[in-house]
Amino acid sequence: MSEVIVITSGKGGVGKTTTTANVGTGLAKLDKKVVLIDTDIGLRNLDVVMGLENRIVYNLVDVVEGNCRIKQALIKDKRYSNLYLLPSAQTRDKTAVSPEQMIKLIEELREEFDYILLDCPAGIEQGFKNAIAAADRALIVTTPEVSAIRDADRIIGLLEANDIRKIDLIVNRLRMDMVKRGDMMSIEDVVDILAIHLIGAVPDDENIVISTNQGEPLVGDSSMAGIAYMNICKRVLGEEVPFLDLNIKEGFLSKLGKLFK
Amino acid sequence: MKQSVVIKSNKYGLIVILDGELPFADLEREVAEKFRTSAKFFKNAQMAVTFQGRALSTDEEWALVEAITQNCEIEIMCILNENDLTEEAMRRAVEEHASVGGQDGKFYKGTLRSGQVLESETSIIILGDVNAGAKVISKGNVVVLGTLKGTIYVGAAGNEDAFVAALIMDPMQIRIADVIARKSDKQPTARERKKQEETPKIAYVEDGNIYIEPITKEVLGDIRI
Repeated sequence: MSEVIVITSGKGGVGKTTTTANVGTGLAKLDKKVVLIDTDIGLRNLDVVMGLENRIVYNLVDVVEGNCRIKQALIKDKRYSNLYLLPSAQTRDKTAVSPEQMIKLIEELREEFDYILLDCPAGIEQGFKNAIAAADRALIVTTPEVSAIRDADRIIGLLEANDIRKIDLIVNRLRMDMVKRGDMMSIEDVVDILAIHLIGAVPDDENIVISTNQGEPLVGDSSMAGIAYMNICKRVLGEEVPFLDLNIKEGFLSKLGKLFK
Repeated sequence: MKQSVVIKSNKYGLIVILDGELPFADLEREVAEKFRTSAKFFKNAQMAVTFQGRALSTDEEWALVEAITQNCEIEIMCILNENDLTEEAMRRAVEEHASVGGQDGKFYKGTLRSGQVLESETSIIILGDVNAGAKVISKGNVVVLGTLKGTIYVGAAGNEDAFVAALIMDPMQIRIADVIARKSDKQPTARERKKQEETPKIAYVEDGNIYIEPITKEVLGDIRI
């Protein structure tokens, strides 16, 4: 039984693509057969974050328009043989695909894969409608900022109106030091406003920037973000995993430094 | 006896008048025979062709063109409709099609950015960069006087002699005719990158593989255009 998950946020730049790459890779690590679909036609990124850009020959629009078979457009991941990417087209725009075509495409993929992850474009226009058309559940990504939360709230309303009931929240780019000082909203504050189930929180971690630039998702490694993403994957599978303590333990030297401030 | 195949020609074109009743297979044989016997009249000519006297399907037209080109040294540039058969029209058609390939070229000035596609029937010289996500497709050759980071497809009509040259050669994918090469998955170190940026390079096909070499007299000597 396969599950179709859309990763969406409303606002741009909060980490949808990074989350898609990491959750997808994490699920593949947990031995699931996974396909990632980049639905951001015209502004594709997922292939870059996955480090698979150099392998693209056909894309989503080619499949929908019948220029190639699905199998020809699916790119196998560098590291996991049970992970695939269906890249988006760069030279077209969102209107090249319709929600009906997405539903048909995903119906075909359902037979092959355990998890189908859709990386949604920012905004609530055609691209968003294409991405959510065939989704069973949604992961909402937000940062602890008022603007991102406002957009997330709008998106949740639209998803519910489209009969997607299973909606989980990921709070991304959290900085515990700022939360402690009272300069940033805490996870509790965000969950309070949005009133949906929290599936994970990811700290603001410079390793993310490094891994994104290198095209190697960091899920499952020993960095805070790597652990946080792995926990999210396990929770997606239905496991109970305790929440990570995001408070970074201060090293001896930094403590010593503070003493002399 | 009535001839089943009659050839008329001028400097730029052939008019082949076909029998309307003969079975196609016999007709094809006749055409082949006719051109074989008259091969010496048509040496190395580039011509347009038109078929008259019977309705042909596209497949049949191609079969006849094949029969012609295999039996003499005419290069058929295009198939014309019956309605425009003046010598002038044929000359124009032949010249239009003859420019396809490596010989002719044009310039393009500007940076090609992600999502932009530059397509050309002729060779192109780009005065600017080709960024990652951009694409250049040419039936001839491509020279980039800048950085090539995007996807490039030369010899798009199937010419394996086509080449790509760039001041800084770092393409996502190179396709020459039907041979494809892609960028390495490994990230180059800072030193490797610097070294790469120092030398202009050229990419070409040899024995079914794409080679990327610094531009030297020896390498250029082997390039065919």
